[in-house]
Amino acid sequence: MERGLVTFQKDIVPLLKTHCLKCHGADATKGDLDIATREDLLRGSHNGPVVVAFDAAKSVLIEVINHTKEPNMPKDKPKLSSESIAKLTSWINDGGPYAEPLIAGRKPKRDPTKVTDEDRQWWSFLPLKDKAATPITPAEGAKKIDEMLLAKAKSKGLTFNPKADPATLVRRMYLDLTGIPPTPEELQSAIRNPQSEIDKLLASSRFGERWARHWLDVARFAESTGFEQDYDRPFAFHFRDFVIKALNSDMPFDQFVKWQLAGDEWEPSNPLALAATGFVGAGVFPSQITANEVERTRYDAMDDMLSTTGAGLLGLSVGCARCHDNKYDPIPARDYYQMLSTFTTTTRMNVDIHPDGKITPAITTMAKDKSTKPIEGATRMMICGEGYDPIVMHTQGGPFFDQTFFLKRGNPDLKDGEAKQGFLQIFARPGDEKRWQWSPPEGAKYSGRRRTLSNWITDVDHGAGALLARVIVNRLWQHHFGTGIVSTPNDFGRTGNAPTQPELLDWLASQLIANGWKMKPIHQMILLSQAWQQSTKRDAAKEAADPGNELFMYRKPQRLEGEAIRDSMLAVSGMLDSTMFGPGTRDENSKRRSIYFNIKRSQLIGSMVAFDAPEPLVSQGARPTTTVAPQALILMNSAQARGWAESLAKRVSDVSDVGQRIKDAYRICFSRAPRADEIASGKAFVESQRTSYAAEKKPNAEALAMADYCQVLLGLNEFVYVN
Amino acid sequence: MNNHPFSRRDLLQRAGGGFGALALSALMERDSHGTSSLNPFAPKTPTLTVGGKAKSVIWIFTNGGPSQVDTWDYKPELAKRDGKALDGFDPKTGFFPGSVGGLMKSPFKFAQHGQSGTWCSELFPQTSRHVDKMCFIHSCWTGSNNHSPALFMMNTGATRMGYPCVGSWVTYGLGCESDSLPSFVVMSDPKNRGLPKGSASNWGAGFLPSVYQGTWLKPSGKPIDNLDAPSSLTPQRQRAQLDLLAKLNRSALAQSPIESELNARIESFELAYRMQTAAPEAFDVANEPEHIKKLYGLDKPHCAHFSAQCLMARRMVERGVRFIQLYSGGMENQQSWDGHNDIIGNHSGFAAESDQPVAALITDLEQRGLLDDTLIVWGGEFGRLPISQKAAKPGRDHNPHAFTVWMAGGGVRGGYHHGETDEIGFKSVVDRVSVHDLHATILAAVGLNHEKLTFKFQGLDQRLTGVENPQIVKQVFG
Repeated sequence: MERGLVTFQKDIVPLLKTHCLKCHGADATKGDLDIATREDLLRGSHNGPVVVAFDAAKSVLIEVINHTKEPNMPKDKPKLSSESIAKLTSWINDGGPYAEPLIAGRKPKRDPTKVTDEDRQWWSFLPLKDKAATPITPAEGAKKIDEMLLAKAKSKGLTFNPKADPATLVRRMYLDLTGIPPTPEELQSAIRNPQSEIDKLLASSRFGERWARHWLDVARFAESTGFEQDYDRPFAFHFRDFVIKALNSDMPFDQFVKWQLAGDEWEPSNPLALAATGFVGAGVFPSQITANEVERTRYDAMDDMLSTTGAGLLGLSVGCARCHDNKYDPIPARDYYQMLSTFTTTTRMNVDIHPDGKITPAITTMAKDKSTKPIEGATRMMICGEGYDPIVMHTQGGPFFDQTFFLKRGNPDLKDGEAKQGFLQIFARPGDEKRWQWSPPEGAKYSGRRRTLSNWITDVDHGAGALLARVIVNRLWQHHFGTGIVSTPNDFGRTGNAPTQPELLDWLASQLIANGWKMKPIHQMILLSQAWQQSTKRDAAKEAADPGNELFMYRKPQRLEGEAIRDSMLAVSGMLDSTMFGPGTRDENSKRRSIYFNIKRSQLIGSMVAFDAPEPLVSQGARPTTTVAPQALILMNSAQARGWAESLAKRVSDVSDVGQRIKDAYRICFSRAPRADEIASGKAFVESQRTSYAAEKKPNAEALAMADYCQVLLGLNEFVYVN
Repeated sequence: MNNHPFSRRDLLQRAGGGFGALALSALMERDSHGTSSLNPFAPKTPTLTVGGKAKSVIWIFTNGGPSQVDTWDYKPELAKRDGKALDGFDPKTGFFPGSVGGLMKSPFKFAQHGQSGTWCSELFPQTSRHVDKMCFIHSCWTGSNNHSPALFMMNTGATRMGYPCVGSWVTYGLGCESDSLPSFVVMSDPKNRGLPKGSASNWGAGFLPSVYQGTWLKPSGKPIDNLDAPSSLTPQRQRAQLDLLAKLNRSALAQSPIESELNARIESFELAYRMQTAAPEAFDVANEPEHIKKLYGLDKPHCAHFSAQCLMARRMVERGVRFIQLYSGGMENQQSWDGHNDIIGNHSGFAAESDQPVAALITDLEQRGLLDDTLIVWGGEFGRLPISQKAAKPGRDHNPHAFTVWMAGGGVRGGYHHGETDEIGFKSVVDRVSVHDLHATILAAVGLNHEKLTFKFQGLDQRLTGVENPQIVKQVFG
């Protein structure tokens, strides 16, 4: 080492600085190799170590500069002189010591294989500040929210906009909580006391249909396998129904999570708990697997389960640690594989639930004659767990392997010992495992590993429960305001955005837990707050002071999602069929709410995709809001939009006076009366269209003209934006 | 508002104007490509100088995996060893481990063409007249021996489902030159032989905003949904509707904190209105002059369907469409280039369907001065084995280790051959080109730097070409 230090100063520094450092530490870190410090050099590249101290013969660096191994280095430059190579070789044989970093002041990067107490200081990993929070009333909670927001806004001298007028407020409540505008009658009765309307809407079954859709994005829910044949999963809809039911009954969120991960292990004979496991199984899976793909495919399937759990429940890119230690968050690859092993024997299965409650396997293979025939009176359900017969695809291998291994670079050919179940070290101290460990009863058909995971993930004091709570309250906030307190809802790690009001987020999480993880009290607090109830009135000074609206001192109108737009149009046209649950359809002419569209990955519903419904492939925390021509084409030309317009026209045409019809249509569509100029331009339009139709001797010129008019109303910004 | 009051330039600059408005969260935070406009399709200026000068891409995706040794990779040694066993062959290389035969020479005759003396199989009598404009990469290899993962790999750079495809990345990176047509168009087999495996995921936008996904033209019936107004609405009556819509929308505009987003929505209706006439006009080849129809082979029943698609591709390029992907062949087996059985019948058929149209496309783009602006890519998801797949009429099984992709136009070096396979065409051995290398090269051809074209997702700056240091095949650009 001593000798090495001397050479380092004299020969090695100039060599490395001239030939290597630019790409590997200074301007870039190509191949993830950083040589600025000895620690980083020894950690190597994404392909593994490049320097073995005291052993130049085993050091890849020497091979690549000798041009005996690719990529030859220095890249696209002449080979180093043999003298230089000899110097580097002997320096490595002397241990490769550094007297100082090659870049002054550079500190070694965090060792990504280890998790330190410092790593645990990241804001989202900290324990909740108020561990012993007690539940407070919604009104008190609303006050608290406003106080915290105002405290932060004070520095910029901003306060809330005035409260929105009652009609706007009621309309906002309806669209936010149910995805459908109020009828004129509902508006009339609610306007006297908008506050009490919140409870009514939260209790309405439409609430679950609206909010379940948000969760289905997170769960990358679809009802087909994806890949080559994209076979239907005809019994997967039970998961969607579970989410609606759970939200409507205000199932505590910790239970909601436990059931989704391990409903079969928590309540093996409860169909609703079984249906919940659709969360784990909603991902894609190939239907045709060659022999040399069987193992990789299985790791891909488990990765999908784990990545969705990580991003969807914890807001962490756990999946990033599949190929290498996560560079940003303290998630070593070892943690990934230990957590992955939770799902070793987890597969998709169909079961039959008999009228007497008995549950039997429904064998499902690609050869239909070998599959279980439908059983009279029984309900077939796709679940994802252990213990029944896995659904069999065209594969040259089995449904799973008995063990999960640590893999180098995510490659199943590079196994590095068996991975036994474990959790993220950020939220697990040595010895804590037994807190969560659950062993199934004698004779059970499942391993208990997913239930163990669910214990860890909901454990506020010792596991990941605090983060779990932060992530879900942020999602609630996001859907009520358009942006979360953390604007990257699936990323609470270092690459995500920091919370704009960390104390508020923490407080909401504590309140969720204090309320027994029930979410409706949180919704109530938010909706009762001034923050939520303020008007969308424009205030140039506020926009200038806070263009991103991070202080929430004004409110931006939100565009409705595709589902809510369509549901609202069905509703105002009087065509909405409010049948709940059961198999969905891909027929765009369906009159049921959009959450009941069947989601086949290769045949997504065009009108939903046009309005930014995501491809259900990975967990999605936030949809973009695009404004593109195909959306306009749908409203201008689709048979559905025209049909809704005709139906709405018919609905208001009981009276003969066009002015009155226009007034009625405005009340139905926009929860308000039209202004005089709006009535005037409406009447002029209807008359002009009527004349045009009459000139062609159309027998129903008046009805057609009114339909043309109603179609315009449905296309207005005011219809698709919530004020 | 009978005449649209804004010039196209105004429209794009208003941006919001155009029909922009990914929500701020989507664009300002997630778009690390650095566009400042709200319009997701505002044309952007490419920044890379090492690559080509293409403005548009036409990718002829020979679906199913054409055999390199029967098309563009001439292997005399294979003929010499015809019928011999391939020692050490892993039967799991292809799809059918139980049908492994001996080495099989190409049943097609090869001859040299052009100044470059390029060896071509007799399958492509017309395309081979263009060899001096074509640039061949013989050393491609991929990571899967199965259609769907290999298709995903070729289209999205990952064998798994759900990543953005090349066309999405290119339109994300460059925007669109047309304000009345989709930026990225996909055409599949119109002869009822199915879609490529994995269908729409091959042209999906993955985690990029969904506006960047490919617009798939339905091969029968109306190619795009909702382009025709309901029967009662004449253009005049629909115009009147849009005028009222704009008037009512505008009256509420100024009071809103999202004025530009609402404005964008008004413009989107105008764009939609124009698209109703512009799109059918672009897709309609009927009014092309006779000599052009003949050039493409529209008069020949065996290739007329592909002729029409190639001609549509040219018309779209002329009108500013950025990326066009055109699938030759349907799903698999005898429906596509997937010649497991009867390699002679299979490849003869698909070559005959596409040879004249593809040759005509090159000729036509060149005579219009568009070839330098248009990159043509020809290739499938993998290659085929030099050994036979045993059958009454033998075929060839999948081969992930080697295949040939050629490019033409867009400033690529004509008559150039890059990389080599071994002497029997089994494995790529010299200057190997991975799919990521190929993608980096395609991006370079349109002036995009694959290392800089990123999108933040799941906490990482994702890119098409992954993290394993892919290389642009610079030689392609001469």
